[in-house]
Amino acid sequence: MDALSAVLQGLPMTIVLTLSAFAIGILGAVPLAVGLSSSNILIRLTSRLFVDLVRGVPIIVWLFLLKFGIQIGTFKFNPVAAAIVGLGVVSIAYLAEIYRGGLQAVPRGQGEAAHALGLTRGTTFYGVMVPQAFRIVSPSIATYLTGLLKDSSIASTIIVAEMVFQSQSFARQHPTVEGILPYILVGILYIALSLPVAYLSRRLDSHMRKAVYA
Amino acid sequence: MTWLTEWAAYLPQMMSGLGVSLLIAGVSIVAGYPLGLVLSVMVSARNLALRTLALAVVEIGRGAPALVILYLFYYGLPKFGIAFESITAACLALIWNSAAYSSEIMRAGIQSVGRGQLEASSALGLAQRHTFWRVIMPQGMRSAIPGLMGVAIQMFQGTSLAYAIAVPELMKSAYNIGSQDFNYLQIFALAGLCYAAISMPATWITVFFEKRMARHA
Amino acid sequence: MTLSEIADGKLAPRTGIKLDNICKRYGDHTVLDDVSLHVEPGTVTALIGPSGAGKSTFLRCINLLERPDSGTIQVAGHTIEPGKVVNNKDLAALRSTVGMVFQSFNLFPHMSAMKNISFPQQKVLGRSREEADARSMELLERVGLKEKANQPPGRCSGGQQQRIAIARALALDPSIMLFDEPTSALDPEVGLEVLAVMRELAADGMTMIVVTHEMQFARDVSDTLVVMADCKIIEQGDPGAIMSDPQEARTRRFLRAVLER
Repeated sequence: MDALSAVLQGLPMTIVLTLSAFAIGILGAVPLAVGLSSSNILIRLTSRLFVDLVRGVPIIVWLFLLKFGIQIGTFKFNPVAAAIVGLGVVSIAYLAEIYRGGLQAVPRGQGEAAHALGLTRGTTFYGVMVPQAFRIVSPSIATYLTGLLKDSSIASTIIVAEMVFQSQSFARQHPTVEGILPYILVGILYIALSLPVAYLSRRLDSHMRKAVYA
Repeated sequence: MTWLTEWAAYLPQMMSGLGVSLLIAGVSIVAGYPLGLVLSVMVSARNLALRTLALAVVEIGRGAPALVILYLFYYGLPKFGIAFESITAACLALIWNSAAYSSEIMRAGIQSVGRGQLEASSALGLAQRHTFWRVIMPQGMRSAIPGLMGVAIQMFQGTSLAYAIAVPELMKSAYNIGSQDFNYLQIFALAGLCYAAISMPATWITVFFEKRMARHA
Repeated sequence: MTLSEIADGKLAPRTGIKLDNICKRYGDHTVLDDVSLHVEPGTVTALIGPSGAGKSTFLRCINLLERPDSGTIQVAGHTIEPGKVVNNKDLAALRSTVGMVFQSFNLFPHMSAMKNISFPQQKVLGRSREEADARSMELLERVGLKEKANQPPGRCSGGQQQRIAIARALALDPSIMLFDEPTSALDPEVGLEVLAVMRELAADGMTMIVVTHEMQFARDVSDTLVVMADCKIIEQGDPGAIMSDPQEARTRRFLRAVLER
């Protein structure tokens, strides 16, 4: 099938965009989540403002801002870099909020018990709070990843040759009835791609449940 | 200082675009949520065909990117002779989106109502429709409110994708201004702030509702 | 007026209930094994036994919240065979005769105390709003919560919520009341205010079946004590007699465990 192979040409780029932005988000969100739960009000409010501002602006605006708005000396973002950085920054904000929610959901008694046992603040945070929080948020992280997969399609608007971009160009070359096929196929592909993520998250979830409570 | 004066000059030109964005978001919510409610009930229908149809509509609406649904309506369907104006296509695509997302939230809301409520209702001999409309629904919808507000914000931000099919909304008017002056940084920053000026307070209100409801739960 | 005079309005005839050969299984797991119980009109039956004995399930079978696999229920001139198809008329007749109070109250959180009591009257009995509200007020006054009429349940203590739930059930003029561990979710002192309402109801001659762990209440108030264990009724009779001289070893073990606490 022509339409399918056209769409599949964009698959590697879709995966590269998604996974790169996800990696940036997973790591970058850690300090931001700590900032969001900081007891210093200045740090907390600054982090909060950053998170809310980043999430308050649609992704397409971030991508256009990076692609067309940034010029430092001779440096300009190429489309792929703009897409990865843009999606990455947005991921940092969303994941930080997810992390914070997880940390907050760990029962208060856990921290108190750890302190009562004389554990240091670092040990309490990384040894007691973080493992439990991670278990609580792992389904949310998986949901975010499938959302990010879909959002990577927005990169097509700054001419990154991922799946939706490839669908568009195939459809443009086929003005007949066949031209609707790539849109249907690409829709199905996104849904199909999110299935393994959901499966993995469930596996991970039950695995971690054992790890924490066994 | 120069930024502020430039922004002041650009802002009026972007206001009509913001109006179009708000219009599309409003339509997608006003038409999408009732549809979502219908879907949320259909998903647990006894009739297999009905259930499958509802499930397909929901899963496609949530699983496929909004951009793909948008293109399907605007570029895809005309190949079958069904053509829409760009703004109509944008509304239809976002209605599908908001119906799918809101149906999941309403379904979860309905399911969150405790089994005890159902039992108490049948112990009192209440008819099924009274149980559903007067006991389960009011509680289910109440717990769905923050989620539905979240979807509304998501829809408002989603209107920016209509840029891709040349709907004269906020993003498109920003791009038009930018391509005259090449002041892209200022112009997109301003567009972003316009979106944020609505999304951020809306998020804060949502969080406020969430917290208040968690306290009274 | 006494509580049950208010409760059954036109002083509906007191009814007993006969349950015969009730069986209930979940898959391979038997929950009720051929349980029969006859309750005389105007008596109080206390149902005790270790957890997992099937007490709550049995109680919930009486108003068909659980559908037994076989057996018959005779109440107020109706014979219902829950194993077969029960038509809506029979179900409505059964439910309007039998009121139920739950361990977790199950008040409707989005309605005021008064609305909780009035709403079922309007929908089930077709009373007008004024009629229903007047009745709700009477009952709220009887359970000592008139001042809570316009408060949502969330603003009431557990004991108050349970008393409202009792009023809600009474508002439908039942001739039998089922109580499923009505005080188990409450602090002991708070439970007393609920038990006081129940004592009054019993004194007025309401037919009651009460699943409970309150031995004092069972001894003082009930006419018949029924001990369930392992999906069966193992012993029943006069509460004083059973408590002082249980015939079954299983009953003895249970009583000792409860009384030692």
